[in-house]
Amino acid sequence: MTLKWIGAILIVTGCGGFGFSMASAYRAEERALEALCRALEYMSCELSCRMTPLPQLCRNASGLLTGKIKTVFLLLAQELEQQVAPDAVSCMRAVQASVNLPDSVQDVLTQLGNSLGSFDLSGQLRGIESCLKNAQSKLRYLSDHRQNRLRSYQTLGLCAGAALAILFL
Amino acid sequence: MKVVQAQLQSILPMHLRSLLPAENIESLTEIRLRLSYPMQLIYLNKTAEVGKPVSLDDLNFCVNTASRYSPWNAASMKQGYLTAPGGHRIGVCGETAGEGIRSLTSVCIRVAKDLQGISDQMPIRDSILIIGPPGSGKTTLLRDYIRRISAKCKSSVCVVDERCEIFPFSCGSPCFNPGKQTDILSGCSKERGINHVIRSMGPAWVALDEITDAKDCDAMVQALWCGVKVIATAHASSVNDLLLRPVYQPIVNSKVFSTVAVMHPDKSYHLERISR
Repeated sequence: MTLKWIGAILIVTGCGGFGFSMASAYRAEERALEALCRALEYMSCELSCRMTPLPQLCRNASGLLTGKIKTVFLLLAQELEQQVAPDAVSCMRAVQASVNLPDSVQDVLTQLGNSLGSFDLSGQLRGIESCLKNAQSKLRYLSDHRQNRLRSYQTLGLCAGAALAILFL
Repeated sequence: MKVVQAQLQSILPMHLRSLLPAENIESLTEIRLRLSYPMQLIYLNKTAEVGKPVSLDDLNFCVNTASRYSPWNAASMKQGYLTAPGGHRIGVCGETAGEGIRSLTSVCIRVAKDLQGISDQMPIRDSILIIGPPGSGKTTLLRDYIRRISAKCKSSVCVVDERCEIFPFSCGSPCFNPGKQTDILSGCSKERGINHVIRSMGPAWVALDEITDAKDCDAMVQALWCGVKVIATAHASSVNDLLLRPVYQPIVNSKVFSTVAVMHPDKSYHLERISR
């Protein structure tokens, strides 16, 4: 009997943990998008003011960030500094392949990669602005649905665990 | 020379990098890439063709890497050139569209050189003009002359380096030793730069490369009237050519340059007095 109860507790904890990890991934996605917005805003200001070359711009941006987005910009700066890729898009693709990021963030990074290093200053600024708008709209969507989603993931996890435990008992 | 080789290799597409030999790199003056033809290495005394025919992607690669993937960093592309890290000038040709180039057909990489002691024959007295045909070594001579003035005269030399070629910077430090009395203002027009340095830096000498515009000549004459000595380079194959070209009339008429260093195609030079 004790074994059954231990099993039930493990099932509930496991399923609950899965639900909580889903909620945590949701928060991480939000944080990544927030960091990306900060990076894009910085890039826009720095370019308008100093016309900083792209490798240095990415390195400077990485210095302001934390987490996976910091890694993305740091790797992008390194990739650009190596000068082995034909263009900035290829560098961004290589970086995206090496860092595991949520789809929404990957989407904005792909858009950013396609605009980087292809146009003059005003074109580049417009490209960054468009990426920023995209990132902000994704972030707004996540923020608007945060409470419901987080509650759902956590509750569903615990409930699914409880249901499974009841079934097995 | 290993540094120069690495700088040049970093601009070239991957499959051409290994074809740039370390030997004779000091006598390499130009690398030419032309669409559908092999890469041409032009040395002081010979020319070599190496590798497979160059593709459009190869030409784009060169321009992207030379501008560090930053087209806004190469505003001079509208004038048909950009300066790569190390001061190497990349000239481009192709199909123009508006103010830019839509499709490249040729890229010419002119290797920047830093030869020390070549200006020893040149007196450090008055303003001096260095003239010569393209590729004759005007900028290399100017670079050494600036360094000599900076070391010997202990007077402040301001370099207005519009194309970032005379004393290029890499990661915040100069690629060539400019001398400790030298101040460098790079990336701005000569006209604006001359006014800037005279107003803010109090130079005894102002140095500029490639006077090609009447506005540059006027700004230079203004500087000379302010009591500043000027060292400049200009395209002209002889003093007679210089006197005949309308664009140089402001500096010729102002009689500010009494001495001209005339470059020869073999990179040597002689000094000549202007008499008019």
